[in-house]
Amino acid sequence: MMEMAWIVPLFPLFSFFLLLLAGKKMKEASAYVGMLATFVSFLVASAVLADRVGGSTYKAEQVWLAIGSAKLTVGFEVTALNAWMLVIVSLVSFLVHMYAKGYMQGDERFSVFYAYLGLFTFAMLGLVISPNLLQTYMFWELVGLGSFLLIGFYFYKEEAKAAAKKAFIMTRVGDVGFFIGMILLFLQVGSFEYSDIFKAVQDGTLSQPMVTLTAILIFVGAVGKSGQFPLHTWLPDAMEGPTPVSALIHAATMVAAGVYLVAALFPLYEASETALLTVAVVGGFTAIFAASIALVQTDIKRVLAYSTVSQLGYMMLALGSGSDVAAIFHLTTHAFFKALLFLAAGSVIHAVGTQDIEKMGGLWRKMPLTAALFLVGALAISGVPLLSGFFSKDEIFAAAWMHGHGVLFWIAVVASFFTAFYMFRLFFLVFGGEERHGAKDVHESPAVMTLPMLVLAVLSVAAGYIHTPWFGTFLGDWLTDGGYAHEKTPSWMMIVAAIVSLLGIFLAWLMYGKRSLARDWLSSRAPLTYNVLLNKYYIDEFYAWTVGYVANAISRLFYYVDRFVIEGIASLITATVNAAASLGSRMQNGQVQTYGAVTFIGLALLVAILAFTGGYL
Amino acid sequence: MSSVPLSAYLVLALILFCIGLYGALTKRNIVVVLICIELMLNAVNINLVAFAKYGAHPGVAGQIFALFTIAVAAAEAAVGLAVLMALYRNRKTVHIDEIDSMKH
Amino acid sequence: MSGEYLAFLALALVAIIGGVLMLNLSKVVHMVIALVFTFISIAGLYVLLSAEFVAAVQVLIYSGAITIIMLFGIMLTRHREEDKEKTTTGGFWRKALTAISVFAFGAAVYLGVYQLDFGENAARLHEKNAEQIGTALYSHYIIPFEIISVILLVALVGAIILAKKDDGEAQKK
Repeated sequence: MMEMAWIVPLFPLFSFFLLLLAGKKMKEASAYVGMLATFVSFLVASAVLADRVGGSTYKAEQVWLAIGSAKLTVGFEVTALNAWMLVIVSLVSFLVHMYAKGYMQGDERFSVFYAYLGLFTFAMLGLVISPNLLQTYMFWELVGLGSFLLIGFYFYKEEAKAAAKKAFIMTRVGDVGFFIGMILLFLQVGSFEYSDIFKAVQDGTLSQPMVTLTAILIFVGAVGKSGQFPLHTWLPDAMEGPTPVSALIHAATMVAAGVYLVAALFPLYEASETALLTVAVVGGFTAIFAASIALVQTDIKRVLAYSTVSQLGYMMLALGSGSDVAAIFHLTTHAFFKALLFLAAGSVIHAVGTQDIEKMGGLWRKMPLTAALFLVGALAISGVPLLSGFFSKDEIFAAAWMHGHGVLFWIAVVASFFTAFYMFRLFFLVFGGEERHGAKDVHESPAVMTLPMLVLAVLSVAAGYIHTPWFGTFLGDWLTDGGYAHEKTPSWMMIVAAIVSLLGIFLAWLMYGKRSLARDWLSSRAPLTYNVLLNKYYIDEFYAWTVGYVANAISRLFYYVDRFVIEGIASLITATVNAAASLGSRMQNGQVQTYGAVTFIGLALLVAILAFTGGYL
Repeated sequence: MSSVPLSAYLVLALILFCIGLYGALTKRNIVVVLICIELMLNAVNINLVAFAKYGAHPGVAGQIFALFTIAVAAAEAAVGLAVLMALYRNRKTVHIDEIDSMKH
Repeated sequence: MSGEYLAFLALALVAIIGGVLMLNLSKVVHMVIALVFTFISIAGLYVLLSAEFVAAVQVLIYSGAITIIMLFGIMLTRHREEDKEKTTTGGFWRKALTAISVFAFGAAVYLGVYQLDFGENAARLHEKNAEQIGTALYSHYIIPFEIISVILLVALVGAIILAKKDDGEAQKK
C-alpha cells in the first residue's frame, strides 16, 4: 500500500478543483464531496500506516530538473514520521470537514470554504510526504496560501483582512530564513534530498558552523510557521478565520508543520549543540510567554490560540532537548485535544454568537455534551493523569530534565501550571456560574458537529497510551526503528507534574468556580503586570513602532527618490522635448529666408562632415 | 602654352556663388534677393562654359547649356518681377520678412 | 605671366568686387549697378573661355534686359524711407550662422575643386563659335530649344497675368 501513498493528497486536490468549478451548483452537497475526499484519504493513509508499521521506509522519486550535475527530484517518501503525520492530518481534516458542515451552514460561500479546505488539506498532506527540502518548501508555501485564504475567508471584515495579511507577512519573514537555509544546504551538499543531507552531516562534509547556521536558518522558518516567539503574533490574530479553520490549521496541522520540519531534519539538528540549544530556549521561552498571556485574555479563541503557541513551544522544547519522539508524541496528542477544544469553542460560539467569555456562563446546563467534551479536552491539555496530555507532557519534562536543561524544565513546569489555570478559568467562566448572555435560544449543536468532537474526545483520552512508560513506548520504538531507549526518569517527576496541573485547576476553581478568591486579585494587586499581559507584552505595538517605523522611513525615502529623482528625470525629458519643439516652432515663422537658411545650414553641415571625414574626394 | 587653369575659373565661380547665396539668404529687399539668385545662376554658367573648354569632354554642349540657363533665368526674372508686383499691390511692401502668410 | 592671366585676374577682380559691393551698398539701385559690373566681367571671362556667342548673350540678357527689369521693379515698388531701414533680415545669430555655413560650404567645395584639372584638350571652340553653336542648337538640341521657347512664352504670358491689376481692383478704382 505504501507505493500508493502519493494518492493520499490527490483526493482533497480533486475535491478542491471540483468544488472550484461546480461548487456554486452543488451548494450543501459540497460538504459531502469534501468529506468523502478526506475520508478516502484517511482510509488510504491508515492503510499506508498499517503497511509501514510492519515494513520499512518506501521512497519513490523522479528527476524533475537536471541543472548541470545537480538533479532536482520530485517524489514521495513513507517514513515512520511521514506515515504517522499522514494519518493525523487526514483524520483531523476529515473530522473538521464534517464539523464544518454544521458550523458553516447557511454561509453564502459554503462551497468556496470547502474548496479552500481541500486545497489546504492537499498541501498539508503533500508537505508531510515530501522526500526533499525543495518539495517541502513548495508545499510549505501552499499551506501558507491555504491558511491565508481561510483566515481571510470573511474578507468583508476589516480584522479578518488584516489578520490574513499579517499571517502571510509574518510567516513570510520566517520563510525567508527557511529559504536561505535551504539554498545554503543545497550549495554545500548539492542536493535537496533529506537522505543526502543527513549523509553529508554524518560524513562531516558539512562543516560544524555550516550545520549550525543552516539548522538555525531553517528553524527560523519553523518559528514563523509554528508561531514561536518572536514571530508568534500572527497566530492569535488568525483566529479571525472560521472556527473549524482555527481547529484544523491553527491548532492541529499547519502550525505543527514547523515542528514536523525540525523533526524531519532532526539528524541535522542533532549534529549541532548550538542549534539544539537555540530550539530549546526559543521553545521554552515561548511556552511560558504565551501561557502567561493566555491567563488574562477574554476572547475564547484567543485564549486557545495562545495556548496553542504555548504548546508548540513545548514541542520545540522537546526537540531542542534532543527528543523528537516526545515532540511528535505531543504533536499528536495536541492535535487531538486542541482540535477538540477549538471545535467545542466553535460550538459555543455558534450557539451564543459571541467570543467574549465575560458574556458567557452557565452553559453547562444548556449544552451538556459540548461542556463535557470541552472538559475532556481541558483535562487532557492540563496534564491530568491518565489522559493523553499527561503522558506527552511528561515525556517532554523528562527530555528537558535528562538533557540537563534544569531551568527550562522548571519553566515548562510553571507553564504547565499556567496551562491548567487558564484552561479551567475558561471552563468555569464559560460553562459554570450563571448565565450572563442575553441569547435565549441557546441549544446543543447538531450531531454533525458533536460527532467529530466525540471522536476527538475519545482520541484525546486514548492517544496517550500509544507511548507510556507503564504500558510500553510503542510510538517511540516505531519512530526510531526500535532504537528508542526510554530514559529512566525520576519517579517524583510524574508526581510533580500531576500536582502542578491539579494545583492550577484548583486555583482556577477557587477563583472562578467557588469564587472564594476575588477575580480581580491580580488586576488589583499588580495592575502593571496585568496590563502587560492583557496587551500581550506589547509585542504588536513594539513591531508597529520598530518595523513599522523603519518601513515607513524606507518608503518615505523612496517616495522622495521617486518624487524628485524619477519625476525630475521625467520632467527633464519633457522639458527637453518642449524646448526642441519651441525651437522648431520658432523656425516655422513663415519667412522663406529662414527656411532657406536652415536648409542651407543643414546642407553645409553635411557637406562639411563629408569633406572633413574623408568621404569626399 | 600656359593658360588659366580650370580650377581658377571654378574657384571664381565658387566665390560668386557664395556671395549670391549669402545675399539671397540675408537681404531684405525682394528685388535684391532676386538679383542675388541671378548672380548664383551666373556662377553656375561660368562653370558650364569653363567645363566646355577645359572639361574631360570639351565641346560646344557646355555653351549651349549656358544659353539655356540664361533663357530660363530670364523667364524666372520676368515671372519673379511679376509676382513681386502682385505682392506689392496687395501688401504694400517689398520686404521679404513682412511676407509670412504661409506661417500656419 | 601671359596676357590671358592678366585679363583673367582683372576680370575676376572686377566680378568679385562687384559682388561684394552688391552686398555692402545700402541703396537698392546702387546694388543693381554694382552687379552690372559683375555681369559684364563675366561676359569677358566667357570670351577668355572661347565662348564669344555666350558672352554676347550675357551682355544682352543680363546687363541689358534683366538689369533693366530689376530697375523697373525697384522703381515701381520704391519705398519712401528706404535709406533709414535696415537692408538685411534676421538677427545677428542667424546671419552669423549663415555666414559660417557659407564659408564652410565654400571651403568644402574649394577642397574639391582647387586641384581639379583635366589637362589641355584640343577643342577648337573659338573657330566659328556662333556657327558651331547654331549647328548644334538646331540639330542635336532642337527639342530642348523648342521647349525653352515654350517656357519663355509661358513665362511671358504668366508674368503679364500676374502683374496685371485684378479685375475687381480695377473696378474699385
